[in-house]
Amino acid sequence: MITTVVGSFPKVAEAGFGTTIISAISRWQRKELPDAGLERVFQDITKAVMAEYEKAGLDLLADAQIRWEDLVTPLAKQLDGFEINGLERWCDNNVYYRRPILRKAPARRGPILAEEYRAAKACTSKPMKAVLPGPYTFVQMCEDRYYKNPARFMRKIAELLRDEAAALVEAGAPLVQFDEPALGFGKPPLKGVLEALAIATKGLKVPTALYLYFGHLNGLLSPLQKAPVDLIGVDVVSDPKAMGAVTKTRWTKQLALGCVDARNTKLESVTELHALFDVVTKRVPSDRLSVNPSCGLEFLPYEQAVQKVNRLVEAVQTYKRG
Amino acid sequence: MLLTTSVGSLPKPDYLVKARSQARKGGVDPAELKRLEEQSTRDWVARQEELGLDILVDGEQYRGDMVAYFAEQLDGFKPSRLVRSYGNRYYRKPIIVSKIRRRQPITVDWWRFAQALTTRPVKGMLTGPYTIMDWSFNEYYPSRRATALAVAEIIHGEARDLERAGAQYIQIDEPAISTRLDEIELAIEALGVVTKGLRAKTITHICYGNFQALSPKLNALPVDQIDLEFANRKFELLEAFKHLRLRKEVGLGVVDVHSHRIESREEVVANLKKALKVFKPEQIYVDPDCGLKTRTPEEALGKLRAVVEATRAVREELLN
Repeated sequence: MITTVVGSFPKVAEAGFGTTIISAISRWQRKELPDAGLERVFQDITKAVMAEYEKAGLDLLADAQIRWEDLVTPLAKQLDGFEINGLERWCDNNVYYRRPILRKAPARRGPILAEEYRAAKACTSKPMKAVLPGPYTFVQMCEDRYYKNPARFMRKIAELLRDEAAALVEAGAPLVQFDEPALGFGKPPLKGVLEALAIATKGLKVPTALYLYFGHLNGLLSPLQKAPVDLIGVDVVSDPKAMGAVTKTRWTKQLALGCVDARNTKLESVTELHALFDVVTKRVPSDRLSVNPSCGLEFLPYEQAVQKVNRLVEAVQTYKRG
Repeated sequence: MLLTTSVGSLPKPDYLVKARSQARKGGVDPAELKRLEEQSTRDWVARQEELGLDILVDGEQYRGDMVAYFAEQLDGFKPSRLVRSYGNRYYRKPIIVSKIRRRQPITVDWWRFAQALTTRPVKGMLTGPYTIMDWSFNEYYPSRRATALAVAEIIHGEARDLERAGAQYIQIDEPAISTRLDEIELAIEALGVVTKGLRAKTITHICYGNFQALSPKLNALPVDQIDLEFANRKFELLEAFKHLRLRKEVGLGVVDVHSHRIESREEVVANLKKALKVFKPEQIYVDPDCGLKTRTPEEALGKLRAVVEATRAVREELLN
């Protein structure tokens, strides 16, 4: 049973590493701060967050996405074919992102995230997974004015994500995680999603993970046991029926249980987390189980994000001791 | 018919922006800050009268964030640290930690202050219960529904107090209402608690919406008027109302609050005429898309002038 995080972490910490990123980005936007200066701010914060994770005792880290505004634009901005447009709501959150518009055939000029992965990795001796948007979510968050065909667009994006994943593996990632929050909304085309995941994970020499968070599970857990990934992450906080679905599923995959609410400040008790672990370990043996917050921690203020990580680790450590 | 108004917030003049930021650091005396807020409220009421708006607002010179403002005045909330809303923008998301209580009326004194400056009606401006619930963390109530309904009782009390003070129009903003379509019934239920038994005209403003999914529910919203953004979607929203008969008044946003460009009178006239093919003249109130607080004072004046002048021109044509 290992502890991990889903991805993002607060970029500002009034009672921690400070709020310098806000003025640094404004100055950089006004061209008063060079790229290297902004990069130094990003890297300092990344280092502070990794130190926080190490102090908490997390087993598997992710890079905190300090350079990211959201899950899709860090890639869309660097791929050919996209233009970044107006604000849209990020799933069901009071959080917005700039929607990419596909105007031309998308193409990747070279590795996009490998460098920031290496920079974050250099801050810690703990293993660090790589996190990417899944092909379905990527496509759902964009407006396609080129293919005008979601299936073709998704297959092409899956190829580009695979190349990016391969570059991250080369940079040392022991696991590549694909986030698919969009699967929680509407009626996703399951067959197409599975095909795209097969493309995105093809030939990767490390284990892969598919993370679901927000919205509803929509009966997807059983069919997703056929997905070409090694681990499935499930947010059991957002959907009240999620725990029922987890226990009803015949698990062939490893499970990452998103059990600490990363969108509300209320802190879970160790007792209630242990009760969840009791239920889940009846279905998935603890050596095939990870636990993490329900989604990225950036929806919380810094103090509460730290408290949630600490509580998660505390709950797992005391559980293991019995 | 075709009464003109604005959605709520108006830009703060530089002296007030500066004073508010100093006040947060303890550098300005609260009484001095209040004096400056009153000064700019007075100025905005005068500007709105000069422009010829029919229904005025106090301009919310004393408010920051539309949820945090109420949270700060209520028992049960504790202020939170920064969370990011998008890009490089952050806000303080309040945390509900105990039962929510209203110690005293929150907005009534400011409403009275503004109304005493003019003979035209001043709108009472409130944030809706669903939005306050959705934009806060909750550590106390057992569910989102329980939270929204508890907030609704509080906002209802505030609306009653505004009505008792003489407000003829009460606007309850619900920008979050289209966030989660599976909760639309809850949003409607909570808004119903707020408006229950009010005699004042009630309005709700909705923005950022997944409008298509929301539109079948518009007639179920327990208010007299629904205020919507038309300009920033190039009036495409009018298409939806060709198929959906709105049995309420409509607040027609005719200038885009997110652009620096001041719309021309001709442009607004043309769009108003398009709207008149879909709505009846007596059904329409004309205003900007949303609050103008993110514009400069000059831009806000320019946009409000476009609203008033275009509406006058169309009114005259209709009457002749």
